[in-house]
Amino acid sequence: MILPFLSILFAFTLLATEAFGVPELYAADSVVVYSGRAERLIKPVLDHFEQTTGTTVQLLTAGSTELVNRLRAEKARTPADVFITNEAGALELARSLHLLQPIALSEVATTIPEPFRAPDNSWIGLSGRIWMIVYNTNMVDPSTIHSLLDLSTPTWKGKLAIPTSNSEYLQAGASMVLASKGEKAATDFLLGIRDNAGNEVYGKNRQIVDAVAKGKVAVGIVNHYYIFRHLAKDPKAPIAPLITDQDEGGMGAIMNVAGIGLTAHAKHMSAANQLITFLMSPTGQEMFAHINKEYPVNPAVKADPELPPSSSFQASTIPLTRLAELRDPIIQEIQRLGLR
Amino acid sequence: MSLFVEPRRTDPVSSSIATSSSSSQAPMLELNKITCGYQPEVPTVRDLSLHLQPGNILCLLGPSGCGKTTTLRAIAGFERISAGEIHLQGQVLASASFHLPPEQRRVGMVFQEYALFPHMSVEDNVAFGLYHWQPSDRKARVQNLLDLVGLQGLEHRFPHELSGGQQQRVAIARALAPKPLMLLLDEPFSNLDPDMTIKMRKELYRVLRQTQTTAILVTHDHEEAFAMADHVAVMQDGILVQCDTPEGIYQQPSCSFVAEFIGQANTIPGIINNGQIETEIGTFPNQSDFHSETHVLVMIRPIDIQFTPSESGSGRIESRQFQGSQTLYGIRLSSGQLIHCCMLPIPVYNIETSVIIHVTTSQHAIIFPQPALS
Amino acid sequence: MVRHTQLTPLSLVGVSIAALLTFPLLYVTYAAFTGDLSQAGNLWNTRLPELLTNTISLAMGVSLATLTLGVSTAWIITRYQFWGRAFWDWGFVLPLAIPSFVLAYVYTYLLDTAGPVEQTWQWLTNSEAHIPSPYSFTGALVVMTLNTFPYVYLLARAAFQNFNLSFEEAAQATGATRRETFWRVSLPLIRPALVASMFLVVLYVVSDFGAVSLLRFQTFTYAIYQQITGRFDYQSAALLSLLLVGFALVFLFAERWFRKQSRFYQTSGRVRTATPKPCSMTRVLAINLSFLVIFIAAFGLPVFLLIQWTLTAWTNGEVGTSFGTYIGNSVLLSATAATAALVLGTPLAYLASRIPSKLHVACLQGAYIGYVLPGPVAALALLMLFTDMIPILYGTIFVLILAYLIHYLPAGLQAMESALQQVNPNLEEAARNLGAKGIRTFMQITFPLVRKGFSAAWLLMFLLCMKELPATLLLRPIGFDTLAVRIWLEASEELYQLAAPPALLIVLLTIPAVFLLSKKNWQAG
Repeated sequence: MILPFLSILFAFTLLATEAFGVPELYAADSVVVYSGRAERLIKPVLDHFEQTTGTTVQLLTAGSTELVNRLRAEKARTPADVFITNEAGALELARSLHLLQPIALSEVATTIPEPFRAPDNSWIGLSGRIWMIVYNTNMVDPSTIHSLLDLSTPTWKGKLAIPTSNSEYLQAGASMVLASKGEKAATDFLLGIRDNAGNEVYGKNRQIVDAVAKGKVAVGIVNHYYIFRHLAKDPKAPIAPLITDQDEGGMGAIMNVAGIGLTAHAKHMSAANQLITFLMSPTGQEMFAHINKEYPVNPAVKADPELPPSSSFQASTIPLTRLAELRDPIIQEIQRLGLR
Repeated sequence: MSLFVEPRRTDPVSSSIATSSSSSQAPMLELNKITCGYQPEVPTVRDLSLHLQPGNILCLLGPSGCGKTTTLRAIAGFERISAGEIHLQGQVLASASFHLPPEQRRVGMVFQEYALFPHMSVEDNVAFGLYHWQPSDRKARVQNLLDLVGLQGLEHRFPHELSGGQQQRVAIARALAPKPLMLLLDEPFSNLDPDMTIKMRKELYRVLRQTQTTAILVTHDHEEAFAMADHVAVMQDGILVQCDTPEGIYQQPSCSFVAEFIGQANTIPGIINNGQIETEIGTFPNQSDFHSETHVLVMIRPIDIQFTPSESGSGRIESRQFQGSQTLYGIRLSSGQLIHCCMLPIPVYNIETSVIIHVTTSQHAIIFPQPALS
Repeated sequence: MVRHTQLTPLSLVGVSIAALLTFPLLYVTYAAFTGDLSQAGNLWNTRLPELLTNTISLAMGVSLATLTLGVSTAWIITRYQFWGRAFWDWGFVLPLAIPSFVLAYVYTYLLDTAGPVEQTWQWLTNSEAHIPSPYSFTGALVVMTLNTFPYVYLLARAAFQNFNLSFEEAAQATGATRRETFWRVSLPLIRPALVASMFLVVLYVVSDFGAVSLLRFQTFTYAIYQQITGRFDYQSAALLSLLLVGFALVFLFAERWFRKQSRFYQTSGRVRTATPKPCSMTRVLAINLSFLVIFIAAFGLPVFLLIQWTLTAWTNGEVGTSFGTYIGNSVLLSATAATAALVLGTPLAYLASRIPSKLHVACLQGAYIGYVLPGPVAALALLMLFTDMIPILYGTIFVLILAYLIHYLPAGLQAMESALQQVNPNLEEAARNLGAKGIRTFMQITFPLVRKGFSAAWLLMFLLCMKELPATLLLRPIGFDTLAVRIWLEASEELYQLAAPPALLIVLLTIPAVFLLSKKNWQAG
């Protein structure tokens, strides 16, 4: 008898505090961050920012897609000041949906190279990641692979692990192929990797690297840092990175950026700008990029020495803004082809 | 021998029968051609009209499915009526367009299974209807009622700790507590064993008379009706067939259904001829309106039929049932019809004995027209 | 007994509640059909065949497997007397306390490449042989079977216990052997119980998300979830959902029809039930051994691992204050939802049992539709509804509670209905006759008498909400994690140890309810 009534009491308390959003988000002198980047990667950076500037950070972590949907539904009501994602496509999409506004900081033009920011500066890249091949050193001779597209040939049937069709990186990567080589190439590529991977479709890049390391498959396509993360844990693992498409006329390495955008209805402009400035600065860049073994976008900041130096390979020249344009067609194609 | 034979109306009674005395007083309850039922096409009760004087006890009598309980529930407010009107002490309780909710009618009800609240004590059960009373008044009233029904000292018991008879008394006390204008009882004794029933009948009668309560009792047991009621209303298939005093019902049933329902009756075909009614068991003077050549049914109670054994008798004893103060014999007539007659328990006559039938004159024979034969 | 339909205020309340519960589904239907239907063509060609095959084959496979497992265990326990019988009797109910995704994650740990089982096998056979991967049909089949066979066991056991022995004796008198009697008389006669449990199992398998997502086995429900989280428009998800719901509704009607048909199975007259027979030592040994294997696989080993991991996590200090937050979130949320469900369900149940007009019965039936909506589908319905029509409430706890209501109110409704039916309507009439208006009658008479049944309903809904996964994942306010969500997130990252404490907690919380459930009279039909 008591239990239901007690619950009703709880219900009212609960609803009062949570029905209309977490109230702390509206406190002054703080910045609200919606992050599609994993908490354990972004929190240390934000904590450092908090400590050095005194501005509080309210962090909410979820999937990038979820966050875009949320921003769309919230409209002007949103508490978010900035939007951090793991790849540029989501940021471009947010921009095209008018969810972002231009960042009015002069350092942007000088610190972030043009290919890595929006044309109107509503978002900027903060760290680069390469979508590349990881191979098992016992099972594969790397000289036999020249292009990512090679993995869609029948030679690799049953030997390939790929991410699920949901993966933003797969979508971005395939978009790049589409932009570089055209529709047919993209379709062939997707079809090929679908057939070759079979059951070896994983929700997490880490699992792909694990599978390659265990020898379950011979090759996989992942973001570069997963390889180095695994090697950091297990230096003896029989895996190695492979950057392809470097030949004359090749696509170039498929590069994407994790970045930050300024929301259209940001409530704490100065705090937001403060955060963006920090993240562009060498300290911020080092923390942001190094924590995950990614490439800092600020040319003044050196990358982690373990990584292949950025001068050693040719990145793709397709502007990142194309990613948002191509996202829908690519998703349609992926769905049409029935990738898992 | 003289047999009182009266012309009888054979169509259902559609207007009320006034009581013999105190007809000048306004009736407590008036049912005016009410129709109600679950499905509008097949009403359970049709065109029923009744009235009841204050302080009187009315019995609704009939076989199961005749609509008596539905009528009771309509008065209580648990069924809606689709036609007609119900008035209580002049106030409209219900009509085709109006329905006063049960909690606003001042009508008490005792349910067939008592419906005592199992989670409340006797005291709380009885006090339930006294919600708006002052606590001291409430307590006093409860005590009064428990004394009235003979349950003093059992205030704190719970229904499951009481016997059937005790539960019924609580139900009666509970219904009477808020001083209702009228009391409705739905087959109150059907859940008791026969000894208890007789005892409770007396109790209930006493309580009702003592409190001068106007009451309607629903039952399928004619003995009960005769014992308790000032008036009996016999129902069949949703229609009121006859409403009269118990003696009136017994002595002058308006149709064969009533006659057979309220007691054992033999119905013997006869034909009217020259001012006489000729039947297989004898000839009687015709004092009815029926003309010659009319086929009729003559109703004779077993108590009015006797026999004497005789070799030349046309009847033969087929069965014999000892009933304590009398023995009921089944006699097969030469036409094949079976009649019953009551004889003293001694002497005992054997099965297969041939007998001659005599009809005695202690009570009336009643005539109904025979339904058209093929 | 149909009484006149009067549109009382209570009726209006009932209708609005039913509308609230069914509206989201109607909205999804509307939205799906007014969108771009060319998507449907795409789906049909690509994903659908695979999804259909997977879902149907899994459902059928699990049905068969649970049938075999459930009936055989129930038969042996009811018909034979052997040492340990009492233990197995309730022991086989325990697997119900483990949520499917917890069992799945334990098995991914056990059966993964280079996992303990493979290593043991390789050591035993002295080879590099790989064992079958859990991320397959077989994996899903094994996990779902072990998780759901107790349903069949419970129903079959009740049927066998209430079985009239005369039938079997009659069969044997005509010369049938024991085996023949079993197959041709006993089994067919408990068919209603078996069919009822089959329906339960199939519904469970088809709407499961947690287990199949961890095992990466592509069923409808899993695909719907992926569509919702991976796309910016909900078109395809809506279409898939409609298919699934259509299937579930057909299923529901088939089950109702079948239940009506099997009324004649109820025996009349005196029922003689079987007394268990003793058996030989070898038999006792064999039975206990095989039962032990089943028990270990379905409950023993998983719980052992959970305890072990929890202890490790505890000593490593990984069980921090956030754990308390998760518990708090789970309990608050589930309690609120269960209470709301009780409050909303009462008018529906009351109207349908006391004034069973067509309207009221329809309202009740409408509420039951939510039963067959898998978590992701209910979530999708609400996502679409709130994004398009009431964006101000999007992302709030309110939406999640509504999802819980839609999906779990039906479960509680059954218990509430039966509690109400056990209260004689005469009691309420007596109260009204004595002058008590509707509210007072309900509070003083009806409610005290249904309290026990309603409490059981509350408890059931509370537990179901505690274990809910997909809708919570999709609808929870950002930063609001429940125990179930944490388990799933950690398990997806293969952080087995971190996932263990919340998993163990849920199992421990559910065990008492499972016992209550097993004591219930599981008569079918």
